[in-house]
Amino acid sequence: MLELLQQGFGAVFSLNILILMFLGVAVGIVFGAVPGLSATMAVALCLPLTFTMGPQAGLSLLVALFIGATSGGLISAILLKIPGTPSSIATVFDGGPLMEQGLGVKALGVGIVFSFLGTIFSIIALMFIAPQLAKVALSFGPHEYFAIAVFSLTLIATLSAGSMVKGLFAGTLGIAVSTVGIAPVEAVRRFTFGLSELNGGFSMLTVMIGMFAVAEVIKLAETGRHAARSKAGSVSMKHIKGFGFSLREFRQELPNASRSGLIGLAVGILPGIGAGTSNLLSYIVAKKRAKQPETYGKGNIGGVVASETANNAGIGGAMMPLMTLGIPGDTTTAILLGGFLIHGIQPGPLLFVSQGPLVYTIFAALLVASVMMLFMEFYGLRLFIKLLDVPKHILLPIILVLCVVGAFGLSSRLFDVWSILLFGLLGYGFVKAGMPVAPFIIGFILGPMAETNLRRGLMLSDGNFAAFVSNPIAATFLGLALAFVLWQLYSAVRPRSGAIAQALRT
Amino acid sequence: MTTANKKELTIGVAMLGAGIAYLALAYRLPGHEGIDAATLPFLLAALLCLFGVLQLASAFGGAAPPPATEADDAKASVIEPATVLKTLGLILLYVVLLGPVGFPIMTTLYLYLQFIVLTPVDRKIRHLPYAGIALVTSIVIYLLFREAFDLLLPAGLLNFL
Repeated sequence: MLELLQQGFGAVFSLNILILMFLGVAVGIVFGAVPGLSATMAVALCLPLTFTMGPQAGLSLLVALFIGATSGGLISAILLKIPGTPSSIATVFDGGPLMEQGLGVKALGVGIVFSFLGTIFSIIALMFIAPQLAKVALSFGPHEYFAIAVFSLTLIATLSAGSMVKGLFAGTLGIAVSTVGIAPVEAVRRFTFGLSELNGGFSMLTVMIGMFAVAEVIKLAETGRHAARSKAGSVSMKHIKGFGFSLREFRQELPNASRSGLIGLAVGILPGIGAGTSNLLSYIVAKKRAKQPETYGKGNIGGVVASETANNAGIGGAMMPLMTLGIPGDTTTAILLGGFLIHGIQPGPLLFVSQGPLVYTIFAALLVASVMMLFMEFYGLRLFIKLLDVPKHILLPIILVLCVVGAFGLSSRLFDVWSILLFGLLGYGFVKAGMPVAPFIIGFILGPMAETNLRRGLMLSDGNFAAFVSNPIAATFLGLALAFVLWQLYSAVRPRSGAIAQALRT
Repeated sequence: MTTANKKELTIGVAMLGAGIAYLALAYRLPGHEGIDAATLPFLLAALLCLFGVLQLASAFGGAAPPPATEADDAKASVIEPATVLKTLGLILLYVVLLGPVGFPIMTTLYLYLQFIVLTPVDRKIRHLPYAGIALVTSIVIYLLFREAFDLLLPAGLLNFL
């Protein structure tokens, strides 16, 4: 392992990759900081740039963007009191009041340092757990993959913040859209309407670019002309030692950070659920466990620590199922999955056997990007604050053009450009209907995996369904899925609003 | 019936409509005994219709869930359907003409017009800077992808260059 990691660092420490990662972290922070732009969008828009790069350089750039954007959300959460991304919602609760009390630099410093620690913790966990998980996953066949896909699909119910019916509908619709194209096993054309371009189905990236980026531009058109301009508060970096907080405060927050890191990692591993949930969850737990819970929401740095450690710990968590099973942990890793495939790399347990050096290059890139993020975000703060003022009516049309370029670049055909427009409209419809997008994406990615492995599994067992329950691993996951569905039904019947839903409302 | 309930009802109708449309398409798929390529689509169509019906039932029952946060945000500020339509029209025109007219010309035109359409009401439309930004962005993206990333974006009318 050490030798492979050494090779990984060797690859990352070449000048061109370091420059790419530097730019990646900076662009990522901007995407994270500007409300309306997200990590998913940053990775999706920069993907076309990596087409001609080697996999090492390309994937290093993409993970740098991922890390920068996940952390960048805290800047606007503290300065504007608007979370830059959903993963920083809980940062606003205490970051905002701290800013009002003139402790903006301290809040930012705490946020950035604990973002860094959360990331590093999750990457180290990823480095130790993923290879072991991959070894186990090597023996998985279609029965196990089907069961894991079904289990992951049942988790969609938890993503439905407003209405569970809408969330489940979105997830089912995602699977339905994924059935377009040639069916697995018997190669029947489904819903192609005679269009040869649809034989391969909709490209994952066109779906994501449409739903996340194009829909955002249309959304701005609706309210942007009347939106009140929020001015970022200014912070003075004069007389600031270190990162703006004391060693004592740092030590006091370590138990909170450890707990939040574990929550972030665990939630990140679950497919489909990522930092958007874990930052709220860890905030709630931190508040419950605090000595003075009443100070939370009024400017306690513990709130910033909990939220920022958890959301960044989700990075390593989300990468785990992606790298070992080919199942993305959240929407950003779903785009990363597209990035892997474009470079001819199939994520899954075999990745660790056939592409060992590349895997460790990605680990090294994650570590280096985290260190870059720590220093760039804090010491380049004034620059990033200036970028928050870039007018949206100039920025978003340019982003739309980049979406068009990205879609066209996938296979140099205008059909993909039409696809992003179609999914942009669908995404806008989702926003208007209060329907969550994440279940749709998870359904779209996991649907084909479930269907293909069901068909393969049935072929292996001569059409006998019992093989799925007689296999211990498959049976465990199917049992978990069933238990989860029953629990969700029980919670839906029992009239009680969840802590996260409550936090979202406040 | 409250406005929120009417909205939830419309959403339910759209959900059920999508389910029925998908079911109609799934019926056309060739099938055979046992699990085949039509099994999953049928299952999905049934689920889509079921969720549509559940949504309608909750809207009729007056138990409409609180709208999502994003919907709340949208309500808080002025909504301009005309700007949305103009934006959609511009994007549609951009995509239709991207092939025949070409990326550099269409991008410049699209950006310039989209900047104007999206300019906030409290700001003045500045034609010259808008045109400049549109032209420079279009040329930089076109050349960057052509020269550095080997991606040949449609040149259209400028194909002779």
